[in-house]
Amino acid sequence: MSSIKPFSKLPQLNTANVLLVENEGKLQNDLADAIVQQENNVNVTVRLARGLPLPAENEENRPRIDLVVFIVHLSSELSLVSTENSLKQLDTGYFLGKVCFLVTGARCGLVPDERLVSLRKLAGSLHCPLLFAEDQTREGVSTAAQRVLKILRVSAGLVPMVTGLYLSSLTRCTVPLDSDGSVQD
Amino acid sequence: MEAQKSATMTPRTNVASGRRSLGFEKTNLRYTPGQLTALRIPTSRRKPNTRNDIDPEQLAYIANIEWKLSYVTPLYKFRHTQLVLYSKQLSAFIVAEKQKGIAVEVGPEMGFKVVFSVVLGMTETDEDAETVFIKICSKPAFAVEGSAVKVVWSGWFTCVNGNLDYMRSLPSDFVSLPLFCTNGPESITALVKSWFTRMFDCYFGPLSLNSSILQWLGALWTECHPASNIRYLKLAWNLPTLPPLDISYTVHPQDAWNLWSSIRQNDSMEDGISIEEVRRFMKGLESHFFRHFRMHLSAGMLTRICTSLGSAHCDGTIKITGTQYITPVLMLLTECAQLKMPI
Repeated sequence: MSSIKPFSKLPQLNTANVLLVENEGKLQNDLADAIVQQENNVNVTVRLARGLPLPAENEENRPRIDLVVFIVHLSSELSLVSTENSLKQLDTGYFLGKVCFLVTGARCGLVPDERLVSLRKLAGSLHCPLLFAEDQTREGVSTAAQRVLKILRVSAGLVPMVTGLYLSSLTRCTVPLDSDGSVQD
Repeated sequence: MEAQKSATMTPRTNVASGRRSLGFEKTNLRYTPGQLTALRIPTSRRKPNTRNDIDPEQLAYIANIEWKLSYVTPLYKFRHTQLVLYSKQLSAFIVAEKQKGIAVEVGPEMGFKVVFSVVLGMTETDEDAETVFIKICSKPAFAVEGSAVKVVWSGWFTCVNGNLDYMRSLPSDFVSLPLFCTNGPESITALVKSWFTRMFDCYFGPLSLNSSILQWLGALWTECHPASNIRYLKLAWNLPTLPPLDISYTVHPQDAWNLWSSIRQNDSMEDGISIEEVRRFMKGLESHFFRHFRMHLSAGMLTRICTSLGSAHCDGTIKITGTQYITPVLMLLTECAQLKMPI
């Protein structure tokens, strides 16, 4: 078991690496294909994981991870729980603009509202952006890939004058107000 | 006590208008868009207790029938005093719609008799509007005198313990009966809905029950076990594997009760149930399943919950058998329906 660190390795020239963490493995592959196909100017490497921490065996070969994307399916409780567990294993340096959440199924009427609320609280308290995606259609996946790429380019340092921390302070999810109007952290 | 009585006996639109318009301006100001999301399922509920003040004859119409649930936006200028008039208008409307496009009347089933009635006592607070029950019987053209009429469709509007802030924020001409239950052919349901939409300027939408609502129902029914035997606790899950897997899980009532009471002992809340207890109860059931089959039920979706007191399905159908516990179930469903209201 090894924990990845954002600044422990040197970056490579014109390269961006993204790690997609998803317990179910439903969306990962499609999203990875879409991300790689859409980017032509930069070498994008997509790494997939079911959860964190990552195994120690390929530690040396693993490039520096510029962005960690947690994919959460609101239709399953397990997805949310495993994301919460993975988050605990993530190095704190990543929360300076190198983590984002990708949520699917938020429009489905059968999903309990509490799940989205608790995920928003989680993202809000970690100051991370929360992206909503449609995983059933190809257009939805390619839109999600586009959005992830936008953030990835910034957090990999490929956009001049913008840093991941700066972007995430603009795009981070706000903590939803509780019923009595107080903000909970 | 006296005031409460008169409020339940007389149509509420007449009684409450003064008080409502008084409270309206105050509450309306409080409803800033940010706070509207506060209208959500509460984190604790009262324990179910038996009730006998509803007319058993009227309850019999509701019990043991599988109802399809919908939500309705508040009805504009609906009056409980004019139910006879509504009966005539709705039956005329249904006949007219059925005859549309038919040159010559064919088939024996052309006559419809619609009866609107009030189910008294199916409320929790004074602000709840009385339940309205609608029955549609078909009249065969050549029926023998005195032969039994056949009920082809029935439905009811109800509101049990509706959100007070929401109901007070409505203008006085609106009656909030957010939950609409129907049983019968879809074609008649569609006709009734379109009549209500035209008459009372409301909107109908399907009401599905998400897994947290089903979990609440399971816990509420299990809580009733010592008083009235639930006989079984059946749950069904749908796991998104390839191909999809349907899992049905039946728990012996005594085991369910033992699990539930072991969870309840830890908490001191005497007459209430908290969402945490419900979660722990479901987690207990799920971890037991995991120990045997190595499958995470939490990865799937809870689709059905069923005891001898009633059953509920996630697509929005419910059947209530234990009518003595009807109030907590309807309170839960009213909350669900109110969450769907556009504000």
